[in-house]
Amino acid sequence: MALLEVTNLTKRFGGLTANDAVSFEVTKGELLGLIGPNGAGKTTLFNCIAGLHPIDAGTVHFQEQNITRLASHEIARLGLARTFQIMVASGDLNVLENIMVGCFLHTGSRMKAKAEAEQILKDMELSDLGGYLVSELPVAAQKRVAMATALGTRPKLLLLDEVAAGLNPSEIEGITAIIQRIHTEMGITVMLIEHVMEMVMNLSQRVVVLDYGRKIAEGDPKLVVKDPNVIKAYLGERYAKEHL
Amino acid sequence: METLKNALDFSDFPRLDLTLAASVAVFLLVFPFFSHSSFAMSTLIQFLIFSLYGMGWNTIGGYGGQVDLGKAQYLGIGAYTTSVMLLRWDTPFWISMPIGILFSVTWSFIIGYPLFKLKGHYFAIATIATSLVLKDLFEVWELVGGSRGIEILAGKYQTPDFVHLIFKGDDYYYYVILIFFFIGILFMNAFRKSRLGFQLRSIKDNEDIARSLGINVHWAKIKTYAVATAFVSAVGSFHACYVKNIEPEDTMSLDISILIALMAMLGGAGSLWGPIIGAAVLVPLKSYLKEWLGAQAGMVGIDLIIYGAIIMIISAAEPRGIWGMVEKARRRKRN
Ligand SMILES: Nc1ncnc2c1ncn2[C@@H]1O[C@H](COP(=O)(O)OP(=O)(O)OP(=O)(O)O)[C@@H](O)[C@H]1O
Ligand SMILES: [Mg+2]
Repeated sequence: MALLEVTNLTKRFGGLTANDAVSFEVTKGELLGLIGPNGAGKTTLFNCIAGLHPIDAGTVHFQEQNITRLASHEIARLGLARTFQIMVASGDLNVLENIMVGCFLHTGSRMKAKAEAEQILKDMELSDLGGYLVSELPVAAQKRVAMATALGTRPKLLLLDEVAAGLNPSEIEGITAIIQRIHTEMGITVMLIEHVMEMVMNLSQRVVVLDYGRKIAEGDPKLVVKDPNVIKAYLGERYAKEHL
Repeated sequence: METLKNALDFSDFPRLDLTLAASVAVFLLVFPFFSHSSFAMSTLIQFLIFSLYGMGWNTIGGYGGQVDLGKAQYLGIGAYTTSVMLLRWDTPFWISMPIGILFSVTWSFIIGYPLFKLKGHYFAIATIATSLVLKDLFEVWELVGGSRGIEILAGKYQTPDFVHLIFKGDDYYYYVILIFFFIGILFMNAFRKSRLGFQLRSIKDNEDIARSLGINVHWAKIKTYAVATAFVSAVGSFHACYVKNIEPEDTMSLDISILIALMAMLGGAGSLWGPIIGAAVLVPLKSYLKEWLGAQAGMVGIDLIIYGAIIMIISAAEPRGIWGMVEKARRRKRN
């Protein structure tokens, strides 16, 4: 069953078509990668799905419900959570409190929210950092906090936008393991945008490729990287030579 | 139940803060028993009143980050409701005050809905505008005395009258507002730990992230604005009984709105103690400026210059005010 179903989604910014009739599905339980060169429209697609931007054409269905016109907080309440590519919480809430904000979506009790947030901290290997401000943490930890905060809302589908950007190889390994755990142990369906190819290859069961706002390929990651269109558009000659 | 526990639980503050707070509380409780000037007494009452206004402002302005410069309109609605109901129907304070809150909150929903579609400076300016419009309305509304205002005639009441809140000496008013003050602190202590309190802090930080966490940003702001309004309106009702003579110019003026915001911002917007610290600094300063400097020829308006300077200094040096400096220093020490 399709958990998320995007049909002919089109989004324009003035004269620029950032998403051009994009269609794809996310099946319940899968881990889907979304790749494409810079400016391909990946973040825009997330923003359109999550209700941050109104879209120009097309529909989005989540659990068979039409969410195309819903506000972003309504979509979040249905169980669709996301992280942001560039924004992290930077206010005066500390790490634990930030996660509690997510947990408050389904409880009015501070004690319950706190207990749940502490459990998530542990799962995300952030237990020692609960008292810090997000802005005091290194990037790798900030990305994990962003994921933890989204997890607080108890999502069914989690959209991750470049959570490995700016991390070193060992940090990437760590975050890959965490995403794997979110997917398998917590049973959350995940869709992730990532430029780090090794990570996409390791994690994704399926990938969707965008280029200039259009979907140019979709399928098994190992096959998709051999697709000439994809190689041309995104991977570049050098990666193609090295890996194919 | 949990709310009550949250209200009474101050254990997340360091011992130093709690010792200081307890000392101040004891001082406030015993102050009337020691010999004091009437000037000191009225300054302390002003301090308590403005602390409460600041606490109300702090919900939406501090925790929520929505700079509200129109709180005086709710002070006016509360004060007028209590005065008019007392004059016409001899209504007890404890009835007219909640009715005033009802009027204020209703008005806050009506203007809050469109106002919170605005962002940043536009929101601040719009709050000023609505407050001034309401003030102008009261100035031409003859039924409530127009620009002359209304006077509560205390003579016909057998003092001390706890039902209508009419007293001869300031001591009674002092203890009534002191009780309000303590209740206000407990309320704010619960508010900052409530779901709405957390949601607001998230909104202040980043509205897009807040929305992605399922928060209805617009509605959360309107609700909080109503809470802030209720606070100010209740104290406005008290203010009417205390000064016994209200007119639009001094209850609903822009000065009052700015002072309310300024006290919370100077002391520390978005912190429990901020508005109290701010009031402790600014109320004596305000009284002093009014009593001495204001009397000198050519010195009229100097208070406004000083407030303006304070706003500039806060926004340049530490947007989170005096309490923000304390917290920063503590954080530096810990890390
Ligand atoms: N709010 C906006 N207003 C106008 N143009 C926008 C806006 N957001 C994105 N764009 C444009 O839409 C196009 C797609 O941007 P988007 O951020 O979705 O790309 P992306 O695939 O996420 O790229 P990257 O890998 O660099 O993050 C770009 O040309 C970008 O400049
Ligand atoms: Mg992007």
